[in-house]
Amino acid sequence: MEEPRIGVYVCWCGTNISKMVDVEKVADEVSKLTHVVIAKNYKYMCSDPGQELIIKDIHGHKLNRVVVAACSPRIHELTFRNAVEKAGINPYLFEMANIREQDSWVHTDRVEATSKALDLIVAAIQRVKYHEPLQKRSVTVDPATLVIGGGISGMAAALEIANAGKKVFLIEKTNQLGGQVAKLDLTFPHLSSAQQLIQPFIQGTENHPNIEVFLNTEIRDVTGYIGNFKSTVQMAENENIELKFGNIIAAVGLKPFDPSKIEEYGYGRFPDVITSLEFEEMLSKGNILTKYGKEPRNIAIIHCVGSRNKKYHPYCSRTCCMAALKYVHEIRACLPSANIFEIYADMRAYGKGHEEFYALTTHKQIIFLMYDQQEALPVIRHANKNDNCNMIIEMNEKLSGESIEVPVDMVILMVNMEAHDNVKEVVRAIGVSLCGNQFFIEKHPKLDPVATTTGGVFIVGTCQGPKDIPDSVAQARAAAARILATIAQGSVAVEVTTACVNENLCCGCQTCVRVCPYGAISYNQEKRVSEVNEVLCKGCGTCGSACPTGAISSKHFTDKQILAEIEGIMSMSFKGA
Amino acid sequence: MSVRLNPDLRNELVRFGIGDWNACYHCGTCTAICPLSEEGFLFPRKKIRLMQMGLESQLESSVEPWLCYYCGDCTKTCPRDANPGELMMSLRRYLTSTYDWTGLSKKFYTSEVWELAWILFFAILVVISFLVVLPSFGYQYTAELTPEGGVKVNSFAPIPIVEAFDWIMALIVASLLISNIIRMYYKIIWKNSKTKVSLWVHIREFWLLIFNFAVQPKFSKCDDKRYWLSHWFLMSGYTIMFIVIVVYLPWFQTEEILPVWDPQRWLGYYATFGLLFGLTVAIIGRFRKKDVKFQFSHISDWLFLIMLTLTVITGILIHIFRINGMPMATFISYIAHMAVLVPMILIEVPFSKWSHLAYRPFAVYFTQLKKHAVPK
Repeated sequence: MEEPRIGVYVCWCGTNISKMVDVEKVADEVSKLTHVVIAKNYKYMCSDPGQELIIKDIHGHKLNRVVVAACSPRIHELTFRNAVEKAGINPYLFEMANIREQDSWVHTDRVEATSKALDLIVAAIQRVKYHEPLQKRSVTVDPATLVIGGGISGMAAALEIANAGKKVFLIEKTNQLGGQVAKLDLTFPHLSSAQQLIQPFIQGTENHPNIEVFLNTEIRDVTGYIGNFKSTVQMAENENIELKFGNIIAAVGLKPFDPSKIEEYGYGRFPDVITSLEFEEMLSKGNILTKYGKEPRNIAIIHCVGSRNKKYHPYCSRTCCMAALKYVHEIRACLPSANIFEIYADMRAYGKGHEEFYALTTHKQIIFLMYDQQEALPVIRHANKNDNCNMIIEMNEKLSGESIEVPVDMVILMVNMEAHDNVKEVVRAIGVSLCGNQFFIEKHPKLDPVATTTGGVFIVGTCQGPKDIPDSVAQARAAAARILATIAQGSVAVEVTTACVNENLCCGCQTCVRVCPYGAISYNQEKRVSEVNEVLCKGCGTCGSACPTGAISSKHFTDKQILAEIEGIMSMSFKGA
Repeated sequence: MSVRLNPDLRNELVRFGIGDWNACYHCGTCTAICPLSEEGFLFPRKKIRLMQMGLESQLESSVEPWLCYYCGDCTKTCPRDANPGELMMSLRRYLTSTYDWTGLSKKFYTSEVWELAWILFFAILVVISFLVVLPSFGYQYTAELTPEGGVKVNSFAPIPIVEAFDWIMALIVASLLISNIIRMYYKIIWKNSKTKVSLWVHIREFWLLIFNFAVQPKFSKCDDKRYWLSHWFLMSGYTIMFIVIVVYLPWFQTEEILPVWDPQRWLGYYATFGLLFGLTVAIIGRFRKKDVKFQFSHISDWLFLIMLTLTVITGILIHIFRINGMPMATFISYIAHMAVLVPMILIEVPFSKWSHLAYRPFAVYFTQLKKHAVPK
């Protein structure tokens, strides 16, 4: 190994770092360490002049390793890797010390913060000495895409990709396209027809030359990796077709909650206690009638059925409040003098136009009654003969503090959206993970909401979490754009910092095969050793820490590198103490 | 025990002047800003909630609407423009109708035609009495003047008959009001199954009634004191006039022109001033709509002001014409005076806006009783 010649650069980050860390002193101290050729401080290392400074020093001082002490590597690691690469050094011969988030922002004592900065930088210096050059790799991308689910999200994504001239296979487990939106009458907050939204999508999808629709079809197994997936789908006539595709969009949606689980509401016992979807069907048919064929005089709409309740689902379904307000407009159009009760837990109007829609609806002569989810749910019982109504809802009204009885003829339950029963099969097939609420987990909740930790697999619509039509369609089109970008590139970069197996040390216990969250490790029966599929591997390191013989190491996270880092962090202040 | 909602109550309340009652989202700013709202007697928010939900029995047993004097601070600070002040005003109208066992109050409040027809009916009765009935008994208009040059009022409006009529009217009105107050007491105090109030408390707190009637100390707690003052002038003028007309008519309705320093003259002048002052403030206020309390006028508000103003103006005219010896003008203005006064007393006092003269002091009394109530 050639002698390390390290350049260290301490960033001020304006005053973000420099006000709490004595950057000059830090640079001065580290310049005295062995292998450190040069140590500098600069106001903004990430700026063009900052990067130029590094590049110039690499050339001028013949540096072969670089350490930048600045912000989180999440923000600028790539910036500096690109800078050192520009100067002719392998980008992995670089290390970043985070002295902002981990130091200057969280401390109040300048002396101690300065000493901590020094520790962090020395750790990076010790680590970078053992860095090895790694080579970037990429795989080709099959231009076809598999979309799982023929609801509005799946179709929106399929159409976006197909319209760009690329092939789409769309599989739908039921016998028709449209999903939940096809079951709705009007949509909020514009009260536009759901059919007018969904029908052009269905026709467009069915007739598109680039979209191949497979109805009554479910996904079983998917093999391969980003850019090169394979799956066999079973058609209705027991005919198996093998499909090849480069990317996957999961748009499997959610299903309505079964309210018969909630004893208090008596769904199933009372014929006129119906779910929101049953009411949508009634509205589509054009008349609101009780099971006895009468027009209801008093209609109650119960919110949060199965939502925001520890006993059922802790999360908010997001669409029910506005849908419940939408019913007010639809009921008023049919039955102008009916009494409408909105029995809610909290009114949530978070979306664009929702608050305005709520304000508009409050003028529709409705009675809002609030219940406390944590205390007790409203209870529905039969009315007596002389009550002049069908049922009575007994509840503790939160805003008045009164125990009240509400006379009703029809009750609409705003049912929660929950995961499909067989969601785990889909999840296993495409290699994504589920959160506690059985929603698909995105790669990053804010910055990468449609991708997953598995390359080439995207999640859109309600399977990622309850959402309304605009959000679902936005996600679908976003995922389509991401996929079209990789198709246009023709290839996609894959992770470099993967695990690798030292076959001489591997004992064939297959612990790594079991712990790998990405299915990237397989067992070679012939050689009796584990093998890593470097395209699937994300370099998480789980296998490395589980391996009993130390046969697996992660590139860029070798034992040597990590031990050197620990030694480095202990060397300065701890030695002094 | 749970209470049954009456979902149709909202339709009824709208007719008492309640506007957009769903605008309120229960932040409680109104209750916080109100200088009169106090622990145990919180308003307006709580009452708005009862209204929104249609909790009829709870509303009917509420004393709080009578504790509000409509300064308008709640309406000014309401972030949702829900207008809590006017909601409380509407509730007072509604409560007046629930206390009234005859059902007429509700009719008058909710139907302008009905109210105007009855006013007209009584006015016509009065005119017929003076033009047909009284002359047939020999009491008729005469152009003859008194030796001093005054008009002989007693010739067409004989004191014993007018006085007897006054007393009959007063008795009718009083019995209606008293029976309604008993109903109010029943709803607010008696019906409450959880608490009881001892007889001693009833007696001890009774003095409050007179004090509250005479001074209206609650009203004076509103931040804006001007309306307490103008209302006090109006109220004192009205009370003095009422007493002298009903109890001291022979002393008040004289043909002799008494000197200006005689109590008959200056009491009359003070009462007239008090009434005119209060009325002017209210009428100008309702036209300018600058203050919250005058921004929304129910038909009953205007009828009350118009009738009282007409009564005062015709009263002034009678006085001027009488002492200046103008018999025909006096005769006409006397009939006009009575044609406004009689329906005003018979309709407005027991059934409409004016009933508050009884309900407000009693509400303060009942509030005090509630404060001293003990659990059963």
